[in-house]
Amino acid sequence: MRQSDVIVIGGGFAGLTAAAVAAKRGKTVTVLSKGVGTLTISGGTIDLLGCGSDGRPFASPAAGLALVDPDHPYSKIGKEAVQAAVDFFLDLCETAGFPYRGNLQEMKWIPTAAGTIKPTCLVPKTMDTAPLAETDMVYAVGFHCLKDYYPHIVAKNLQKLPGYDKTYHIAMVDPRFTAGRDVSALDIARWLDTESGRQDCIEQLRNTVKPGAVLLLPPVLGTRPDYQVLQELEQAVRCRIIETVALPPAMTGFRLRNLLLDHLKSAGVRIVEQAFVAKAIVENGRCLAVVTQNSDRERSYSAQAFILANGGFYGGGLLAEPGKAVEPIFHLPVKAPASQTQWSNPRLFSREQQPFAKIGIAVDSTLRPLAENGSLALENVYIAGRSLAGYDFCFEKSGNGVALASGYQAAMMV
Amino acid sequence: MKIQHNNPDSCTACTACIAQCPVTAVTRKFRGPKMVGPALERMRLSQEDTEPSLEYCSNCKNCDIACPSGVPISTLNMLARAKSFKNRSHSLRDDMLAHGEKMAKLAEKIPGGAFLANLGMNLGGSLGLMNLAGIAGERPLPSYAAESFLRQFKKFKQQSCPDKVVFYPGCFINYNDPQVGMDFVAVMQANGYEVIVEEDFVCCGSPMVATGYLDEAGEQARTNTELLKKWRQQGYPVITCCTSCGLMLKQEYQELYDIEGMAENARNLYDGCEFLLLLADKGKLNTHFAALEEKVLYHAPCHLRAQGFGLPALDLLELIPGLRVENAGAGCCGIAGNYGFKADKYDISMAIGEKLFQRIKDSGVDTVVSDCGTCRLQIAHGAKVETVHPLTLLRRAYER
Repeated sequence: MRQSDVIVIGGGFAGLTAAAVAAKRGKTVTVLSKGVGTLTISGGTIDLLGCGSDGRPFASPAAGLALVDPDHPYSKIGKEAVQAAVDFFLDLCETAGFPYRGNLQEMKWIPTAAGTIKPTCLVPKTMDTAPLAETDMVYAVGFHCLKDYYPHIVAKNLQKLPGYDKTYHIAMVDPRFTAGRDVSALDIARWLDTESGRQDCIEQLRNTVKPGAVLLLPPVLGTRPDYQVLQELEQAVRCRIIETVALPPAMTGFRLRNLLLDHLKSAGVRIVEQAFVAKAIVENGRCLAVVTQNSDRERSYSAQAFILANGGFYGGGLLAEPGKAVEPIFHLPVKAPASQTQWSNPRLFSREQQPFAKIGIAVDSTLRPLAENGSLALENVYIAGRSLAGYDFCFEKSGNGVALASGYQAAMMV
Repeated sequence: MKIQHNNPDSCTACTACIAQCPVTAVTRKFRGPKMVGPALERMRLSQEDTEPSLEYCSNCKNCDIACPSGVPISTLNMLARAKSFKNRSHSLRDDMLAHGEKMAKLAEKIPGGAFLANLGMNLGGSLGLMNLAGIAGERPLPSYAAESFLRQFKKFKQQSCPDKVVFYPGCFINYNDPQVGMDFVAVMQANGYEVIVEEDFVCCGSPMVATGYLDEAGEQARTNTELLKKWRQQGYPVITCCTSCGLMLKQEYQELYDIEGMAENARNLYDGCEFLLLLADKGKLNTHFAALEEKVLYHAPCHLRAQGFGLPALDLLELIPGLRVENAGAGCCGIAGNYGFKADKYDISMAIGEKLFQRIKDSGVDTVVSDCGTCRLQIAHGAKVETVHPLTLLRRAYER
């Protein structure tokens, strides 16, 4: 089969980032993907590190990085590489005409569809809350028929929070959808992609909101990785607009994925869809090729180095079996509590991490996997993203952050 | 090796398929792949359930490509579609669109039949008769070639070679676009292969499955499976140059039917460009290409992307000196086999293709390359450009 310098297994955020970094370093890269990755439907913010293992928020992601456990992926990656990954990402988005905002020295707290705030680090311009400081008037904007989004809940809960004590109004926009399926943020975003949809929305907002306010919208400002919808609406209504974090399918991740795909295409990266990687060919501690199994036959893809970024339990990169967790491609050892009864913490809302979330592959400082005895398991395989051991992204709010940093670092090591 | 049981419970309701579904993107009448496929399938297991919006699924496979859990969503839809016809009859329109091979055979029996049928289709289109029958009058139906591939092939004198492959032409290449078949033969000859064509192959059944004729397509599957087995046992690889036939023969047969020998046959089936690229990997491809100084855009058919071996045509065309190839990467073209020929789906089909048409116009190319026959029809119709199969360009580079 064709030779590549680097093969990335997995087309999620970690895999696409790794592919972009390796391509920038002049490597020929092939991505083997199965499914589109959760980025398509997720929030698209880069949560670097929100809080520690005690559940208390850090003053900034940088402050948190100095305090993480030695087993945490960030400890292996190192602070300089995390900073370099952030710089790389910001630069890529800027170049693509869809700049993100934020830095490691600042914790951004952004509003959610539940009227809570969540800590994050890098956000698209549409989620930057800076405009809130400039006004006392906020409109929580909802859309008729939009599922799982209630502007009055957003307003009612937010106004109790520091920095959000403002005068709140509710404004409703009717996308005038007639019969058909349930309305999701996707539908509204596609409506706002159209000239007529934008004009209609502007007209309706002009009739209800006063200029100079901030409008909190669900993430519906178009499907493309650009700020045209945002700018057009802001100018026409003479208000600033902020998108909140909402349930899947969320457009913010969808835009970011499309940005990355466009970038990879122009960088000459090959993406093979529906490539079900089933096993690896390993000799003397080196991986020579990985093998896909589809409904016809096996195909092998060889490379100098391999980056495994195919997710955790959810993405299929790790499998839970009776009494153990396994990594199905390379059969790498997976660190997990000895007894399966200890895998989960039944007190869902206690301020404690979930042991199953921290199950994963142990790596050294180059992100290469370790054998049971702590020696190097494979010399040219690097682990990125959700299958890394030692972190609970949901608890500590590091979703997409570990993916970005480990994807970057793995690609720097190959 | 069967990857997948048709198990709706693998679905985690994550909505990735909804985000990627081209039909969902342009019409709100379709409830979307997640709901119509796995979610309702759970209901169908216990009771009869007919979902009216199921008719909007085009079987383009983008939901399958999107699914992180490997659920064959579109296949669940096709199984449900067939079930929905258990208690109702098909329209004449469905009958015509599902049985292209039967219609072409009728036209072939009459002297000058292809010409008359084309005339009839053109007249029917301009007189609005097509719309009456439920077939989109806005687009030309694919016209019949004056001489089918099989007839041309029989007259053609090949160089005899020890290395042989069997070619599965499929209906579209045989009756509508025989040049692609002849180009394939020429390219294989240039690489020291002799091409065998099996005359008893029948339509793969793809248009039947998409129109709800599951049992009839199963008969086709049985016939083809036997023939494919015969050639496999003789040690000859079988090659398709039509993406939908390839997907059907190697993957959908296994998802839909239980016929002895299917999985073994699948291991012996190759896409034309894939086969040539494998030769290139072994250093066995004839690379005596003349330069083709032009810029073309490549459109990857959804049914190719669903097969999990990348885009071999793109890699192959890059070997031709001077040729600048760019992947359009603008998603589904909207035709989805016979979907875009239905009068009531024409607007949806064109709306889906709009992104691709725009991309083609923006690129300023006058030739678009695609492996799929119906994609080529849609691109020619929607973007008003020349369209070619990748093997046609390859042949040009050999013969210039």
